[in-house]
Amino acid sequence: MIRYESQKVARYYLGLALILFCLQVAMGLWLAVNYAFTLPQGLVDVFSFATSRAIHTNTLVAWMLLGFMGGSYFILPIECKRELFSVKIAYLQLLIFAGTAVAAVVGFLFGWTQGRPLLEIPVPLDFLIVVAALLFVFNVAMTIILTKERSVLQWMLLAGVTFLAVLYLFGMPFFKDLNQDYYYWWWVIHLWVEGAWELITAAIAAFIIIEVTGVERKVVEKWLYVETGLFLFTGLVGTGHHYYWLGSPNYWLWWGGIFSALEPLPVALMVLDTWMHIKGRKNPIVNPLLWTYIMGLALFHFLGAGVFGFIHTLPPINYYTHGSQITASHGHLAFFGAYALLNLVVFYFAMPQLKGIEKFDDRLGVWGFWTMVTAMIFIGLIFGVAGILQTYLERILDLGYRTAQLNMMFWFKAVLFFGVIFLIGVLMTVYHLFTLKKAAD
Amino acid sequence: MTGKTAKAIFWLGTLSSAIIFLWLTYDFHQQEPKFVKTDKLNEQVVAGKKVWHKHNCNDCHTILGFGGYYAPDMTKAYYRLGESAIISVVMNPEQAYKDTFRKMPHLGVTKDEAVNMAAFLKWVASIDNRTWPPQDEKFVKAFQLREANAQKPDSKDIAMGACGGCHSLGDLGNKLSGDFNDISQRISYDRDTLVKFIHAPQSVRQGIAMPPQNISSETAAIIADFLLSLKAEKEVQK
Ligand code: HEC
Ligand code: HEC
Ligand code: HEM
Ligand SMILES: [Fe+2]
Repeated sequence: MIRYESQKVARYYLGLALILFCLQVAMGLWLAVNYAFTLPQGLVDVFSFATSRAIHTNTLVAWMLLGFMGGSYFILPIECKRELFSVKIAYLQLLIFAGTAVAAVVGFLFGWTQGRPLLEIPVPLDFLIVVAALLFVFNVAMTIILTKERSVLQWMLLAGVTFLAVLYLFGMPFFKDLNQDYYYWWWVIHLWVEGAWELITAAIAAFIIIEVTGVERKVVEKWLYVETGLFLFTGLVGTGHHYYWLGSPNYWLWWGGIFSALEPLPVALMVLDTWMHIKGRKNPIVNPLLWTYIMGLALFHFLGAGVFGFIHTLPPINYYTHGSQITASHGHLAFFGAYALLNLVVFYFAMPQLKGIEKFDDRLGVWGFWTMVTAMIFIGLIFGVAGILQTYLERILDLGYRTAQLNMMFWFKAVLFFGVIFLIGVLMTVYHLFTLKKAAD
Repeated sequence: MTGKTAKAIFWLGTLSSAIIFLWLTYDFHQQEPKFVKTDKLNEQVVAGKKVWHKHNCNDCHTILGFGGYYAPDMTKAYYRLGESAIISVVMNPEQAYKDTFRKMPHLGVTKDEAVNMAAFLKWVASIDNRTWPPQDEKFVKAFQLREANAQKPDSKDIAMGACGGCHSLGDLGNKLSGDFNDISQRISYDRDTLVKFIHAPQSVRQGIAMPPQNISSETAAIIADFLLSLKAEKEVQK
């Protein structure tokens, strides 16, 4: 049921993404075990929390990028009404990317690391990632350049992936000065998730909404312009919410505080327009689960990034919450709500078509969705409670780090419990996606 | 709203924010020396930073509040712990945390690496970052007080500067491994044994969780005298 032969490349991207998703979550559980129990020194010496965390976060980023790339390759032919510029480049790029990811994970196990959180991949491997990214951007750009029908969506997607690739470069040099190191570290981390990735998400979500609901393209594209404009307006200067406590001029408190406090606005608009388009749909609902995912994405995006981002973004609050489990709470809700769900929307949009299924049997998938969503809400709330407790014990009562952690143990165990539930939800979802079947009428 | 207006919102929003952001970035670099001791950023500090990266300390410990939340923040660690405690923990974490619930891995950090690490942490601690983290401000103040007394430090300052990373004395230092008031009461070592204990705790008392301390014999002797004087003081009081 795919409309263009070259869309098939997406299949391998999505498959690999799903496998890495499972690995990421399994590694997250192991991190929770590290928090909740005392592990023997001998084990900690050979496979430490630091190594596990590097794997947890890098597989996260890797599967999401794979999802973005596979998703782009799937929707571009439809949007451009032509085959991809080059299927060979798409496979070559996947090969380089996947090979680098495997090398990176194995390298971490042997202590080969750049040693910077989230950017642990050593510089030589970074160059390979850059090669893969260049191939990808080139392939997307050529496909768009060669099309006869230009659209806002096409170039918004191209802008997003180009911006993403350019920002990666700021994570590669060695900085002698820790202050500058973290200044530019946020150009990768913050400008990714609150800039480039939002552009890509907005563009892909807009495309899928047009396809699925059948609402008028003009209307969706207008929303897309306004939302991405607001995202970049608030998000670029909003980077300042990470510059409060690293040694910086005072004005960052104002610029960072005010602009980042406005960041929930475009996310709220996304909820509004998704809801309106679903209500004003022209197409019948064939696969209800896909529609559930689309609405879930909008709402959870708002909860994780909008609400949980906002509550700790103002300097007087951030002074107490910075560098505590509160950040972990927001990080989990936002990444899941915005990017895990966006990718799952793409998977549930693309996989049935790749398999030539019009209406799929969604029973297991529905269970997977609600299990993941419920468990993740609990995980976010529990990290939040642990964080408030930590802030209170360590920064108000002044009890010291170790005593505070000891008193948070119950919550770490609770996170582990809901982590197990979450993993079950992930396994159901991944299994469902890999074994999609036609619905029996 | 027309498509044109929407497009204008996009470009206006994006460009205005980009221009402000790039301008502020330029200004950040201009003003950086006011907050960061860029002139003190020497080879040793850079070498220490490389050690920090090599062992991926940052995925367990936050620094400037960024990184893993699994272990204490390192921004002001130099003021909280002092050089010798940093070196002894980093080289012998398996001893320092023998009896506690969360372990730090033995990373095989060499003596040179640990010394550079301490220099790096000292430089980081000197960043003027609006008194963050709040819980470490008391250590920053205590350190500054000791610095002000640097001309003629008394033996208490020396002892707490060297051992305050783990031990406390009343309000001073960290309450992790016992208060010197109690310890001095408990121990029955003479001066030489105490000096030996400081350099190699296990050789005096097997199985004790204190790692070897990296301080000169003279300093160790001053601290030993100080501990013994505490003991004598208490006995006189009785
Ligand atoms: C696998 C996680 C992990 C890694 C990697 C790690 N540490 Fe630790 N570190 C810990 C834990 C856990 C503690 C003990 C916290 C406690 O119980 O007080 C600790 C304690 C410390 C302390 C004492 C802190 C205090 O306030 O008492 C210092 C200093 C320290 N580590 C430095 C380092 C340095 C330097 C590196 C890199 C060479 C490093 N650590 C790597 C987990 C880690
Ligand atoms: C890395 C943390 C650490 C540092 C730094 C440290 N100690 Fe200790 N010290 C310990 C621990 C742990 C114990 C054991 C406490 C217990 O068993 O109750 C201990 C115990 C002691 C004891 C009691 C020995 C006994 O037989 O009961 C003395 C005396 C002592 N330390 C002196 C010092 C002196 C002097 C310094 C500074 C030069 C110092 N310590 C620095 C961790 C440390
Ligand atoms: C989908 C979008 C988002 C994602 C994926 C995301 C993710 C993250 C992550 C992973 C961190 C922790 C980084 C680290 O220190 O290791 C973080 C920090 C932070 N985020 Fe977000 N975020 C998003 C949107 C937002 C928004 C919209 C806001 C504000 C309204 C916000 C406010 C913050 C703040 C203030 C911090 C710093 C926390 C601290 O002080 O340690 N985030 N974010
Ligand atoms: Fe941010």
